[in-house]
Parts: sequence; structure tokens; C-alpha cells
Amino acid sequence: MNTIVKFIIIASLLSLQFSCTDLEENLRGEITNDISIEGISTGGSGGSADALSGAFSQLRSTGSAGHFGYYSVQELPSDEMVIGAKGGDWYDGGVLVEMHKHTYTPTNGIIGSAWNGTYAAINTCNELLAGDLDINQKAQTRALRAYFYWRLMDSYGNVKIITEPGSDAPQVSRAEVFAFVESELLEALGIPAVSADMDLTESPLGQDNNPYRINRYGAMGILAKVYLNAEVYTGVAAYDKAALAASFIIDSGVYTLCGDGCKVPNLGKRPSVDSDPDELEGYAAVFAPNNEGNPEHIFVIEYDEVSAGGMFFAMMSLHYSSQFTWNFDSQPWNGYATLEEFYNSYEDGDKRKKANFIVGPQLDFGGSAVLDYASDDGDPVLNYTPFINELEPNSLREAGARPGKFSYKQFGRANMDNDYPIVRLGDVYLIRAEAMARMTGDWSQALPDVNIIRARAGVSAYSSITPEEFLAERGREMFQESSRRTDLIRFDKYNDPWWEKPASDPHVNIFPIPFDQLQASNGTLTQNPGY
Amino acid sequence: MFVEDPSGDAPDNKIIHQILKSRMKKLFTLTFMVLAMTLIYATSIYAQRTISGIVTDDSGEGLIGANVLEKGTTNGTITDLDGSYSLTVADGATLVFSFTGYTNQEIAVGNSDVVNIQLDAGELLDEVVVIGYGTQSEKEITSSVVKIENKDFNQGPISDPSQLLQGKVAGLQVYNRGGDPNGSSVIRLRGISTVGANAQPLVVVDGIIGASLDNVDPNDIENINVLKDGSAAAIYGSRGSSGVIIVTTKSGANKDGRVQLNYSGQIASGTPVNGIKVMTAPEFVAAGGTDLGSATDWIDEVTRTSLTNNHSISASGGSGVTSYRVSANIRNVEGILLNSGFNQFNTRINFSTRALNDKLRINFNSSFTNKDQELGFQEALRYAVIYNPTAPIFGDASPYPFNSEQFGGYFETLGLFDSFNPVSLIKQNSNRGNRKEFNYTANLNYSITDNFSANFRIAQQNNKFDNKKYYATTSLFRGGATSPIRKGQAELYNGNSSFDLYELYGTYTDSYGSTDLTLTGGYSYQQENFDDQFFSIGDFPNNDLDFLNAIENAQDLLNAGLIGANSNASPDSKIIAFFGRANVTINNGLFVNASVRYEGSSKLGEGNKWGIFPAFGIGADLTRYLNLDNVDQLKVRLGYGVTGALPAQNGLSQEGRALVYDGANGGASTTLTRAANPDLRWEQKRETNFGIEFAQDRFSATLDLYNRDIQDFILLRTVDIAEFGVDKRVENAGSLNTKGYEVALNYDVLNTDKVRYNTGLVFSGYSTTLNEYVIDAEMRANLGSPGQNATSMIRIKEGDEIGVIWGPVFNGVLEDGSPDLADVNGDGQLVVGQDKALDENVDFARLGSGIPDIELGWSNQISIGDWSINAFFRGAFGHSLINTFRAFYEPQLSTQSSYNYMNTALREEGLTTARFSSLYVEKADFIKLDNFTIGRSFDLKNSNSFESLQLSITAQNPFVITNYTGTDPEPSLVDGRDVLSPGIDRRTNYFATRSFTLGVNLKF
Repeated sequence: MNTIVKFIIIASLLSLQFSCTDLEENLRGEITNDISIEGISTGGSGGSADALSGAFSQLRSTGSAGHFGYYSVQELPSDEMVIGAKGGDWYDGGVLVEMHKHTYTPTNGIIGSAWNGTYAAINTCNELLAGDLDINQKAQTRALRAYFYWRLMDSYGNVKIITEPGSDAPQVSRAEVFAFVESELLEALGIPAVSADMDLTESPLGQDNNPYRINRYGAMGILAKVYLNAEVYTGVAAYDKAALAASFIIDSGVYTLCGDGCKVPNLGKRPSVDSDPDELEGYAAVFAPNNEGNPEHIFVIEYDEVSAGGMFFAMMSLHYSSQFTWNFDSQPWNGYATLEEFYNSYEDGDKRKKANFIVGPQLDFGGSAVLDYASDDGDPVLNYTPFINELEPNSLREAGARPGKFSYKQFGRANMDNDYPIVRLGDVYLIRAEAMARMTGDWSQALPDVNIIRARAGVSAYSSITPEEFLAERGREMFQESSRRTDLIRFDKYNDPWWEKPASDPHVNIFPIPFDQLQASNGTLTQNPGY
Repeated sequence: MFVEDPSGDAPDNKIIHQILKSRMKKLFTLTFMVLAMTLIYATSIYAQRTISGIVTDDSGEGLIGANVLEKGTTNGTITDLDGSYSLTVADGATLVFSFTGYTNQEIAVGNSDVVNIQLDAGELLDEVVVIGYGTQSEKEITSSVVKIENKDFNQGPISDPSQLLQGKVAGLQVYNRGGDPNGSSVIRLRGISTVGANAQPLVVVDGIIGASLDNVDPNDIENINVLKDGSAAAIYGSRGSSGVIIVTTKSGANKDGRVQLNYSGQIASGTPVNGIKVMTAPEFVAAGGTDLGSATDWIDEVTRTSLTNNHSISASGGSGVTSYRVSANIRNVEGILLNSGFNQFNTRINFSTRALNDKLRINFNSSFTNKDQELGFQEALRYAVIYNPTAPIFGDASPYPFNSEQFGGYFETLGLFDSFNPVSLIKQNSNRGNRKEFNYTANLNYSITDNFSANFRIAQQNNKFDNKKYYATTSLFRGGATSPIRKGQAELYNGNSSFDLYELYGTYTDSYGSTDLTLTGGYSYQQENFDDQFFSIGDFPNNDLDFLNAIENAQDLLNAGLIGANSNASPDSKIIAFFGRANVTINNGLFVNASVRYEGSSKLGEGNKWGIFPAFGIGADLTRYLNLDNVDQLKVRLGYGVTGALPAQNGLSQEGRALVYDGANGGASTTLTRAANPDLRWEQKRETNFGIEFAQDRFSATLDLYNRDIQDFILLRTVDIAEFGVDKRVENAGSLNTKGYEVALNYDVLNTDKVRYNTGLVFSGYSTTLNEYVIDAEMRANLGSPGQNATSMIRIKEGDEIGVIWGPVFNGVLEDGSPDLADVNGDGQLVVGQDKALDENVDFARLGSGIPDIELGWSNQISIGDWSINAFFRGAFGHSLINTFRAFYEPQLSTQSSYNYMNTALREEGLTTARFSSLYVEKADFIKLDNFTIGRSFDLKNSNSFESLQLSITAQNPFVITNYTGTDPEPSLVDGRDVLSPGIDRRTNYFATRSFTLGVNLKF
């Protein structure tokens, strides 16, 4: 009997040791609510810790300087960048060829990825705005969100404007998105409109010079870009406002062009290669791995190989064997290159030609030739040629000048250090030049600002200029800054034929709404015309 | 029936749930108290006696494992190696003796304490089958259950017990493509049972639900029962949704103090069956490949003739009411790839005894496994296929100036994407793992009355596993040999998982006239936990130390951002269930089974956590009702069952976030990584099964037909990112229907005193259709790098069957070396862009199906005197495989002339562009002689020390007949974890092995 009692007691105790219908799920290894940590020191240039980290970090996660995101959709359909299919390599189901030939369709994964990245960024901004922010933080986040909506509107035209996390909203026209972007930026700036006598003394945006955040000059710079393209977006031009916004920045005197004497040590120098300069000066310094704090930077995306990854230009562009030139810790992928015609648009004395491209026979760290055992021409020495034999199927492995504007440093990692400009003074000069010319219908109005840029590049001043020459000049200056597609559309050149690309229909000037998102939207999204 | 609030009105549902919950709680407490009181009351009343005896066959030999049951109760035992048994029964009890292939006999216990009985080889097969929470006689089963005895298992060096069943059970698919000794098989019952949940059947080892087969020594297994359909598995709830495999290990036999020892050992030798044909050095040079001056057979260099040995010893015995069996197994397995294999030590103890006047039966089982794994690198096989055959192994034979020292003396072809010297890769780096698994189960069964017993079970499984990798400073492959700054990498991973089970159930049996009734009811609590940690660090000075044990030397410690670390811990993942079942037998000819399970899971959304899952079955023995001369058995049965299924991941109903750092600004905040889905509800499987069992004379046959609907299947799907903030969310996304058939035939061709020949054939087929999906159609399964990203090969579409390979049709080679693709729809326009795959006018076609039409197993057992011959053939027909090796490496890419080319019979001369098309989709029909064994047994009864000896020689995989040009034509049912993308032979597969085994079995 005693044993039975024991048995019952034991059995009862055992069944009590777990709670018998409790199904609570405690995710002990995961973060399930929004937290923010301020004041973590991760080295670098300092700056102030704030609650906006998550939102601004989205500038990186949207692929602004990586493959298969925003950078790719802006660069690959333009006439400045291409990825040739090298046999089977880099064919990737034809999505890259389609980007080049403007035959992209709604299922193109790059177009889908850029859409997803941008909306994820908007969601982060919306979550932040739903919480407690001070007036400056709120204005910055709204300006940042407006910038992301500008990207969406510029790329896809007709999109949903979501301003609260977890809510849905109808798809609206490109003009309506334009109006939203404009009003958000104006409200962030604290002014009713951009005008000659606008007063920013009450602006919630500050004047402090932290280019990783948005101050009033950064917001004004975004607004200038938006106004410059207003006619494309809405049919109504706003060049006067673009010019005023650009002048506001230039006239403030806060920023200066990085010219002679503006220099940084050359982190890419090979000690045994004498032709490598010790320092990078002027234009080259604006984009160097150690470019933080450059006087030309107004609003930039911070990249850092440790704490702010996401820039992969070395991997994306360089040939496998170029690893030995810069002693990278990873092997590059041999993808992005420049079209020959675009490369040839630079005259030889143009400092930007040397800064922007890598061409010719390649030497390694010790000064010996870099070898490619699978070289197409039988000569194992790696030699980048501006000439590209064909787009597909057998583009040569060494073909194409490689982008090097965001220059590479010795012992670099796959993640690079160079900060990436969204608004910089050189761009602002060219915005004002073009806006003045278009506003007046007189392209000579562009000359003063254009010649400032040309002087910095070490080329002679223009005495007169045509729209075509202006576009070429802007192309040379803005190479690799995700600007070319928008510029070509504004100049009505995007549909022209060029190398390995036939003329394209104007419906391709906005991308298709990604197929899987269209499917997932249950009919709340309508496809753009022509797709 | 599935109870949930159709309006999705959460608060109401919650109230109902709470009421139910509190009622359940009360009911449970009440049941328990009643149970306990009856227990106290019952013990002293009934007079008891112990009956013993020997059960023999018609020749007088003892029958091992015959069932002895006290009629009308659950009290029973099985006979030991001599056929002897001992059972304590009530006065006036009737004993029921049964054994496979023999007629049951019932003997009323008279005054004698000894009951010896001889069973006749019967016409009617009647056998006890293990079902959830109990056993049933085979004829009472109303669902599709197959029992496989250990004598029918596949022979040879089998390290994964699931392979014992390969081809033996109609509808059970067991595929271990290539046969990596450290890999585990993909097991499927009746194809796709779920999309987002666990598709492997539930394994129950000695009552431990969800046990791992990895730590069961095949020698320890007594039999395996496979519950195939929903009505059988329903009692196990969601975890049985993909079918149930019940493994019973051998138990001890009371030998009155004498110990029975058994030894069995095997030595096996394996060689690679190289199905991948590549170019030799001269062929490669002739084809225009870059000549590096040597000639190397890379596949030969990274493979070997493997040697495997395996020793098991067991001892069993006991006295009185106590019996035990202990066993130990040492297994030393080499893979055919260099540095792959494992060393395993496994022990198991089964102990049973009785207490409290023999009313309380106590069973205790425990096992421990330690497995040291040499995981090697399967990548070596892949690079051996594509590495330039003119490349030398060592750098000193390089045609170019080459710094051998940098690469540990090995040669490397620099400047290539995805190309590594396979010999250097496999020899310089190490990849080792260890698994330790400890399981135990304690089962207390108390017979409260003759009709009512209570059962309490505690089981625990604990797993520890680790993986240590070291990439040498001189290894180009992940070691960073070319990096001037960071060479060498050590990776350390370890994890723990545990599973706790507490169950309490009661069984009541009674008879009313000609009607027998068994009622079962109980409570089950299951909790799973998991945690793991990962740590990687690199940049070592050289290869002098074993840096896995000296990570403090890593230069990464000085260099920010290069140390990798990760850790995870699961929530307490719980399943709680209340269940009940009734089994009714009328006139010993009509059988009715019904069960219901009320089950809750911590993984689902609040308000959707609980579900009710019923099952019902009816069967009739028609020989009792129809006048069928010569027919020994004709049984029809019909079963219907609903089971729930759960996703593998935790936390799906809650939001997930990741911390992001903002560079030098020094702040961090979170971004959304997973949108919460509080509406996530049970995926349900409703299955109807109809079966006929027929036996006449020497022939028997079983036919099963089934229809399976999977509703609300759980899948990660694309959602509107504008609304949800992320573009993917796990949701209830659609429904699938599977229809299938299974046939098992058996015939005694010869049955004389000297010669016996039995042959059996099982075959089955099914087809699965996507009935509903959140979107109309979708392309899945990306081909990959180099150059064939954004190349999806599988199409799923509403209304279509699963497994459709979808792509352009190859017509020939164009002059520029690119493929000439067919204008399939003949509209004069060639639309073959991957991103147009789903367009109306696309020139794509159905290139094959990844799922076979018919799978079959054909066994032949011949015995001539002391000799036995066992030949088992297995085949599958109608499926295709995408040969990805060929898709990448058979076209002669001028730009990649430093890789080797595939050189199969299907190679197209002049093709210089790699682009996915029908050219790489191959029919993979095959039939293989899976297993061929010749054995001889010796009776050593006259010897002093031995009882018997058996010797055998087994050939595994001696030949395969197939047109498939890859390594292994077996179906590929799953791509990674994606069950909707079958039919892809990836480049990561191990090579198939052919082996020969010498086996010894010795009884002392």
C-alpha cells in the first residue's frame, strides 16, 4: 500500500512540474520589439548618436552601392555601365542583358529587389515617426522618407504612399507622389515654398555639418533634384525652384568644392609601383576610401568596412585576379564595366578619366604582372581594354574599363569604406547650371557653373555649350552616382539606341511594378502602362 | 472536423478556449483522482497466479517472439529465444497465443501452472501491431499499417535505420542520394504531406515520440510498424501528420538466470560508382582547353576504397518477473570521399520488471550514442569534376612561375571563379563533428482491474552536437591563402536540443456478448528546446598549431569586425493534447475504430492555438460473411482522419527584429525582419484510405487507395511590402490534393522441406495537385552561379501537378555556339527569357516531372537447406532529374577553358553557351539490384560454447540500369528544404557507393 501511495504522489508531482495547458511562446533568443541603443562607440569620425540609426542605415540596405538593388537598376539600363555575359558567367537568366537592352519585364529580380528595399526603408521611417521624436529628428526622418519616396516615384512612377506602419493605402499617380515628396520636404524645411525670399530661421532642420544626417542644405539639395525633374514627373516644369534651391546651398558658403590642395593620403598605393601617387587630390579625394569629412559632402551615405557595410564596388567590378593588385581579402566577381563610348567621352587630360576608370595591364602589390590562367587571348597577363567585344554570350573576361571612382584601398575587404554622396556640391552646381539654362531657354546660362566643374577637372572652359554637351559633362562628373538614368530621361536620350541596345519605347522610362508584389497586393496595385 | 471560429472573431474564440481549457483541466484532475482511487482499491482484490510454458511450431522448435495475452485484458508478454514465457494472470483466465503466420489458439488456464502449446502454421494471418498508445491485432486494424520484421530488413553495412525499410513498404520513399555516410535519408510517406511543416514521418522508438533513428543500432530492432494513413496516425496528432514509423527494439528474455549472448559483425568495402564522365587530359586539350602540362584524374585523387567495420554484442536474460537486454555497438565507417566517415559507439538497455503483485509493469529503456564524425568536404567531389585535368596536383609542376609555399605545396589555377584544387581542399582542411545523444524512457503500467489499466510515461531525449572546421592558412578554399592579411579560419559550432515527454493514459477493455470494446484516453505534454552557438575567427600565423584548440593566436583579435559569432535559443516549443479512442470488434468480423485528439501548440497565433482532430475507421472480414471457398482472407477497410501540421520555425505569430548599427555615429536601432502573423492557424491534412487485403493459398495481396487533402498549408509567401514592411511572411497559403495507390503482393513460389522461395513485390504511385494558392503561378528553384542565377526551373501553378520542370526546349546548336531553342507555340516569335517564364506566349514547355510515376521494390528470398539467398531489386520510373553538373560544365565555354568539361553521351558538340534548357533534363528511370546476400547457417548445438553461427556475403548496389548520366538516378524529392521543387540533382551530392560485406552472426 505504501508503494502505491508513493507511486501516486510521484506521478502527481511529475504532472505538476509542468503547467498543463500553458502555450505561451517566449522568444528568448530574438528581439521582438523596437529598441534603440545610443552612444555605442564604433570608432570613426565621431558624430552624435541618436535614435535615427535604423532609418539612416536603410540607405545602405537598399543596395545604394551594391549589386541587385537601387544602384543596379539605376546604372545598368544607362549608357555608362554594363555587365557582359561571359559564357555562362553573368548571364543570370538574362536579367542583366534585359537591363541593358531595356527589355526588362515585371519578373526581373533586380527591379523587384530595388522596390522591396525602398519600401522596407520607408517602413523603418514610418515606425520611427510613430514613436517619440524631437522636432529635428521628426523633420529629418520625414525628409529621409521623402527621399525614399522620390526614389520610388522616379523609378516606378505610380506607387502607394504609406505613412503609418502596418497600414495599406491606394496606389496613386506619379504626380501625386511628386506632390507628397515636395510637401514633406517643404514641411521638414519649415517653409511654405521655395522662393527667393524664403526664411529658414524657424526650420526644424539644423545647419550642423554632419553629412550622415539631413540638415537644411541636404533637404534643399534633394528638393533641387526633385524640382529639376518635375517636368518629367508632372508635365509642369519647376526649374526656377530648382535653381533657387541650388543657389541657397551654394550661396550659404558652408560647402566648398574639393579642388587643388584638398587631398587625402592614397590608401591604394602599392609601395613598389612608382606611378601610384602618394595622395589623392581634388575630384579623386571626394570619393576616396578616406573621404569622410570632405568639404563637398552635403548628405552622404556612410560606409565602413566594419560598422557600416554594403559598398561592394571592388567585388562587383574587378576581375578575379585584381585581388592581388589591392590585396583584397576576397576574390572579386568580374562584373560591372563601362561602355567604351562612355569611357571615350573623357578627353585625355581630364583628371576624372584617371580617377574614374581602371584600364590597361595590371600589376600586383609587388609590381609584377597580374595573371589570368583562363585568359581569352592566350596571354595570361590581365589587361583591361576599354573595348568590349560583345554583350553576350561571350563577352571577354578582360573587356571593359572598370569603374574605380570610389577608389580601392590596399588590404581592403569586400565591404568598402568610401562614403557615397547623395547630395554634394559638384552636383548642386550642375543642377543650378541646367535649371538656369532650361528656365531661360538659353544654354549659355549654364556656362559659369559648368566651367567651375570643368576647371576642377583640369579641362579647358567652354565658351558655349549645347544640351548634348551639357549632358556629356554631367555624365563625366556624375559617373557611378546613380544619376545617369534619370538624366538621360530628362534629356530625352534614354530611348536612343547605343552599343548593343536598340531604340526603346518610352514606356520603359518607368520600371514595371514587380510581378510578385503585384500578385501579393490582391489587386491594390495596377501595372504600369506598356508592361 | 476542425473547430475554429470561422469569423475569426478572436475574443469569442478566446473565451470558448478558456472555458474548454478549464474544463479540460478539471476533467483531467478528476480522471486522475478516480484512477488513483481505483488503483488503491483494486490491488488487494484479485487472486493471481503465474503461468509459464513453451510455445513451439509444428516441428517442435521454440517460437521466438510469439504473443501471449490474457484474454480481454492488455496483460501480455512475448516468448523468448527458446519459445518460453511466463505471465501472471487472474484465476480462471484464458490465454491467447498468436504468432505471425500461425493460427491463434486460446487456452483456458486450468489448475496447471504450466501451459505448453504448439501453434499450427495457419491460413489466417493474425498478428499484434503496434499502434499509438497500444496494440491491436492485425485483423482489427482499419487503416493502412505495414509491419516489417527484422528478418526482412535490407542487409549490409547500414548505418541509417531508415534504409532498412528502403523499398520494403509500398508508399514509403527512402532516398539517400549518393549515400554520404554522414548524411541522412529523405523519408516520405505518400509523397508530399505538407509544404511548410516537417515532411519526415514521425519516428517513435519504444514509445518515445519524435525519437531520432540515428542512435538506434539496426541490430537492436525487433520490428518496425509503419502507419501510413491519416486515420492511423491521428492519435499522434500533428507530429504524426506525415505518417508514423514505430520502432520496437528487442527486449530481454527471461532465461531463468542464464545469459544469452549474441555477436554480429560486418566488414565492408566500398568503391565509388562514378556516374560523372568528364574529359581526360588529352580529350580536354583536344577540345581546346588550357593545357597546364600534367594529367590528373581528380576524381580518383579524392576518392578511395573505403573500409567499414561494425561489431555488435548483446546479452539478454533475467529471472522471475525481471528481464533485461543490453547491447553495445561499435561502428567504424569510411566514406569513399577522403576524410569522410564516422566512428560511433552506441549502447542500449531495456529492462522490465513487475511489482505490486505483478500488477505494476515497469519498463525502462535507455540508449546512449557517441558519434565522432569526419565530415570532410563534399565540395571536393564537385571541384574534382570540374578541375582542369591538365593541372598538376603540386605547385612544383606548374607551367608558370608559381609560389607553391603559399599554397602548402599544392597547385592552384589562379584567376578563376569557383575553382579550387580538390586534393588541396580535402587534405589541408578539416571538418569534424561530434554528436552525443542520450535517451531514456520510463513506463509504468498499472492494471487497476482486469479491464482497466493506467499508463504513465516519462521520456527524455538530449542531444549535443558540435562541428569544428579549420581552413588552413595555405588553403585557397576558404583559408584565404592569397590574402596578404588574413589567412586561415577556425569555425566552432555547438548546439543542444532536448525533448521532454510526459504522458498519462488509461485503457479499458471489455466484452459484451460478441462485441469487444477497448477505450483509450489520456493526456500528452511535449516540449522541445533548442539552442546553438557559432563562433568563427581567423588570420593565423601558419599551420603549425591545431588552431581549433588555439584560437587565441588569431590575428582577428586585433582587427575589428572579422570575428563571427551567433547564438540562438528556441522558445519552449510545446504541444499539449488530450486524446481518446474507441476500438470495437463485433463478431470478430466487423471492426470499428474512432479517435479524437484536442491539441494545442505554442507556435500558432493567439486564439488559433487549439484544434480538434478526429479519425474514424471501419473494417470487415468478408470471409466471415460471404461463402468464399479457398479464400483465406478477404478484408476491406475504410479510414478517414484529420491531422494538423505545424511549421518548423518558432515565433511566426510574433514580430522579429534585427539590430542595425549606424556606423561611426555610434547608434543602433532595430528594423523589422519578420512580420507577425497572429492569424496563423493549423495546417490540416484530411485523408481517406480504402484498403483490401486478400490471401489465398500461397498468394497474398494488399491494395490501398487514398485521397489526401492538405488545407491551409503553411508557407513563406510574398506579401505586399508597402503594407507589411517586409516582403515575405509565413501564412496559410493554399491547398494540395494527392491521390495515390499502393500494392503489395506476396507469393510462395516453392515451399518444400528442402527449398523455399518467396517473392514479394510492392509498388506505388501518386500525383499531387496544387488546388489553391495565394497567387496563380510561381517559378521556384534557382539554378545558381556561375551565370545562371535568376534561372528558375520549377513551375507551380494552381490546378497543376507538383513537380513540373519548366523551361525552354533545346533544338540544336546555333553557329555562334549558343543553343537553338524551339519556338514551342509556333507563333514565329521566340520568347525564352527567364523572366517571361509565366507569360502566355512564352516558348517554354514541361520538360519532365521530379516525382516518379511508379516506385517498386521486388524481394526474393530463397532458402535451400542451410543456405539462403536474398535478392532485392528496386526501381523508380517516370521521373526526371535536372543534371546541374552538365548544365554548368558540359558546354564548352571559351571563356572558361581552364575548367574541365563534362563528357557524357548527351554532350552537344560546338555548344559554347551554358543556358538552362531541356538538354539538361534527363529521364532518370532506373532499376537496380539494391542488395544481394548469400548466407549459410551452421548449427553448433553440439559445440560447448556456441549455439549457432551464420555467415553472409552481401553486395550493395552491385548494378544499376539507367540512362541517367549523373551519379545517382534516385528521385530528388526536396531541394534544400523546398518540397515544392523536386527533381533537381545539385552539384553538392555525394557520389554513389558500391560495397561488398562479409557478415558474421554468432550465438553463445
